[in-house]
Amino acid sequence: MDKPAEMSQKDYVEDGQNKLIIKCKFCGSKILDKKSAKYIMQEKELPFMQQDTRKGGEVQIETINQFYHVENMYTFENIGFTHTVANHKYLSCADCYAGPLGYYEIDTKHSYVALTRVEHC
Amino acid sequence: MAKKTYDLLFKLLLIGDSGVGKTCILFRFSDNHFTTTFISTIGIDFKIKTVELRGKKIKLQIWDTAGQERFHTITTSYYRGAMGIMLVYDITNEKTFDDIVKWLRNIDEHANEDVEKMILGNKCDMEEKRVVSKERGEAIAREHGIRFMETSAKSNINIERAFSELAEAILDKTAGREADADAARIAVERRPSRAPPARACCS
Ligand SMILES: Nc1nc2c(ncn2[C@@H]2O[C@H](COP(=O)(O)OP(=O)(O)OP(=O)(O)O)[C@@H](O)[C@H]2O)c(=O)[nH]1
Ligand SMILES: [Mg+2]
Ligand SMILES: [Zn+2]
Repeated sequence: MDKPAEMSQKDYVEDGQNKLIIKCKFCGSKILDKKSAKYIMQEKELPFMQQDTRKGGEVQIETINQFYHVENMYTFENIGFTHTVANHKYLSCADCYAGPLGYYEIDTKHSYVALTRVEHC
Repeated sequence: MAKKTYDLLFKLLLIGDSGVGKTCILFRFSDNHFTTTFISTIGIDFKIKTVELRGKKIKLQIWDTAGQERFHTITTSYYRGAMGIMLVYDITNEKTFDDIVKWLRNIDEHANEDVEKMILGNKCDMEEKRVVSKERGEAIAREHGIRFMETSAKSNINIERAFSELAEAILDKTAGREADADAARIAVERRPSRAPPARACCS
């Protein structure tokens, strides 16, 4: 599988937090205020935003390694949560369904937003 | 410690028969390519939306429910903590309007007594297919002392307004409660002075 493009830390991270406002790439809905989430590196598989339905129903995934860590869900300005799948909820745009933008962990109640799947403004 | 970035948190529910448009109301109506993605196959549980009302930053946590769950299976656990309920019917479908009464009864049985309610007649863009007049919607709302609005998730009519009106109604209630609490505290603080009750009219 292709390695996803890594985003340059210095453009997006300041004091270990998101330097810029985070928005939906597709509709511009505001997701996080600046400096409201911690930048972390961890490897995690996420389903692609666009699934190719010709590939027989198998969910196509990619490995993502840069996330914003949000400890309290009410830190989000606008965000959607899917139903629970195996101890996770997936995050989507609150206005246009685009996603998964990241995931929410049921056990810890923490959320993780993939840097490559959102817009920085 | 992380600083709290909002003033109030309101939990809202969307309720109504299957197909009335609850999920479309929750999300901006879209016939576009997103509707066939991974997210839509799993389905949305709830969303968080931030609004500003009277200088207060309010987080709305809005829950979608599936209409096929019907009245009998939507019970106390669904309603727990809900401060506002959007009760939705479809203006092109008589049955969904008739069921509003049953949903109201269900809410009475299971939800918090002081939950703020609002009735939405959705799909008002489909005037040619309308079977429930706006007057009938208004009448049932008046009868139960509830707010009412016709909406269209498709044409984005009154959707934002409905949520901010519901939130505002809850805010009014909350503000009233805060004022009550203040009054009670003052009353307690004053008690030691044991001022005799004023008997203005019959002394
Ligand atoms: N014309 C029109 N169609 C609408 C509107 N809102 C929803 N629909 C359509 O109505 C159908 C049902 O909408 P949903 O949002 O899935 O209904 P629901 O209330 O969530 O249904 P359940 O999840 O089964 O309870 C879909 O085909 C929508 O495209 C509207 O405002 N106008
Ligand atoms: Mg639905
Ligand atoms: Zn979006």
